[in-house]
Amino acid sequence: MIKQSLAIMKRELFYMWRDKGMRNIMLFGPLLGLLLFAGVYSYQRVGDIPTAIVDLDHSSASRQVVMGLENAKDLKVVAYPETYDELEKLIHKGDAIVGIVIPENYGKDVDLRRQTKIAVMIDGTNMAYATNATTAVLTVTRTLGAEAGIKTLIAQGIEPDQAKEAYQSIEFREEAWFNPTLNYAYFLVLAFALNMWQQFSTLASCMNVVGEKGFGSWIQIKASGISRLKLFFNKSLVHIFVIMLIVLPIYFFAFVVFKLPLASSWSMLLLFTFAFAVALHSLGTLMSSIFSNAINASRFGMVVALPSFVISGFTWPLEAMPQWFQPIAWILPQTWFFQGINYLSFKNPGWEFISHYLLILGLMAVLFYSLAALAARLREKAFR
Amino acid sequence: MEPIIRVDHLVQKMGRKTFLNDLSFEVMPGECFGVFGTRGTGKTTLVHILAGVDRFTSGEVEILGTNIRKSEKYKRDLGLLTQERSLFLDMSVYENLDFIAALKNAPRKNIEEMIERFELRELLKEPITVLDTIGTYQRLALACALVNQPKLLIVDEVIKDIDLYSRRLIIKELKQYLADGGTLVCAFSNIAMSHYMTRVGWLENMKMIIYTSETALAEWKKQEELYTE
Repeated sequence: MIKQSLAIMKRELFYMWRDKGMRNIMLFGPLLGLLLFAGVYSYQRVGDIPTAIVDLDHSSASRQVVMGLENAKDLKVVAYPETYDELEKLIHKGDAIVGIVIPENYGKDVDLRRQTKIAVMIDGTNMAYATNATTAVLTVTRTLGAEAGIKTLIAQGIEPDQAKEAYQSIEFREEAWFNPTLNYAYFLVLAFALNMWQQFSTLASCMNVVGEKGFGSWIQIKASGISRLKLFFNKSLVHIFVIMLIVLPIYFFAFVVFKLPLASSWSMLLLFTFAFAVALHSLGTLMSSIFSNAINASRFGMVVALPSFVISGFTWPLEAMPQWFQPIAWILPQTWFFQGINYLSFKNPGWEFISHYLLILGLMAVLFYSLAALAARLREKAFR
Repeated sequence: MEPIIRVDHLVQKMGRKTFLNDLSFEVMPGECFGVFGTRGTGKTTLVHILAGVDRFTSGEVEILGTNIRKSEKYKRDLGLLTQERSLFLDMSVYENLDFIAALKNAPRKNIEEMIERFELRELLKEPITVLDTIGTYQRLALACALVNQPKLLIVDEVIKDIDLYSRRLIIKELKQYLADGGTLVCAFSNIAMSHYMTRVGWLENMKMIIYTSETALAEWKKQEELYTE
């Protein structure tokens, strides 16, 4: 009994190892992805946003605005075009992301306490740039607005200290929790690498049943009388072991070398990852049972695995997806995994919270494996 | 004496096509039963049913006293050599023997015995995809089929198109297997092989007619003359 199981597991391990293409993809793909993503996000946040300022006023007040913008965190003034048209060209060419136009008579209007407008244009084609640019510009404009307000109050005869207090009586202090510096690397590097890992793991899982049946050697297995349950259970153990083995260096590099945040304990992280590996493998096995050949199984596996990261709500909130679509997203183990990973790396949500996720992933595994067995049985009957 | 194989009104259909229609025969212990037929007459279909590889449409098949629809127990005493290459392509010669022995719960000493008997010692580390001749492959395939010392051995076109050295070795081992009390079912398409058989089940037009080896040869000759004219 044990001898048979060990032989099946050994054979499966050898088989996976000898498939050079699969081996290299599984071993190095996600790890290279991690290194690549870590490189891409090494600056950790978007800074030095190219900014162009058109000062049509050339007054001391407008120069103050320009100075404020020059000193603004994350903005880098790269050009001072003379006209709006020149500014437009710069933004079109991508030489500037933020364009600011200080109108004529700006200083005069401020002095006369008339309403005046500073036009701020932001290139919205790159969301990351646009969001950061908006935040950076807002910081400057808020300060300028407050300064103008204080001046107005002083001009109306209010004591300077009182005027300042009036503007500072309500202070909105922003604090970003869990990722205080809003570090992109913390948010995305691990998730992107894990996305590659889950895709390759799905691909490997899709070969579980159909890969075996696709070979002539399936005859030997059938003629040996070994139970399918024993065969696929042992094969699955090896697959899950390999899937887990591959994630370990990713976690090592992410949390130990690159020092990405890990709020939860290692044991909870690994337990959660294991539950996901089983659920993911069960989904792959289901596809493997449904399709008649390995190519179709892997094609469909990719159809599910590729968009699953986007669907998971990691980068775009699930709540912002259409109501009808949200339950579909929650059917996929990937959604639970990426949501859970976010909690584990940033928040340490505790056993009570994560046990709910573990239970769901476990139930998914039971459901998908059962459906896989049923599909395989129906398929076999259909060929009788 | 109980038959090793008892086939009763066996029918095999796939879609609308009928491959085997109402076959009934028995194979007794120690017999060398030949399944003869030209290409596409259903030899492999029958072999796969007997080995429990394929299901069948209707009828009853008992092997070693087991109704094969109800239990797979008989497979532990079964050896199968297929016409198509069915060994594990990702494994070496030794690994195939070792893995198939494990699948069949055969003792390890049998592996060594098979290596010696089928002269495979020099090839053990070779991946089976690079085995130089069909004969070498068939020697290994038969070694794998015999590794569990089966009571019933089913072989499909075992010596077709193979080199004379391997052919001699395989025939010698099959004779030894029968001499040791085994039962052999052998599918073949070259009528000259029939003189090795105790009886021959001739498949034609989805039916089987049973002959002795001599009458099978005589029938072939008769048909040959008929169609030559």
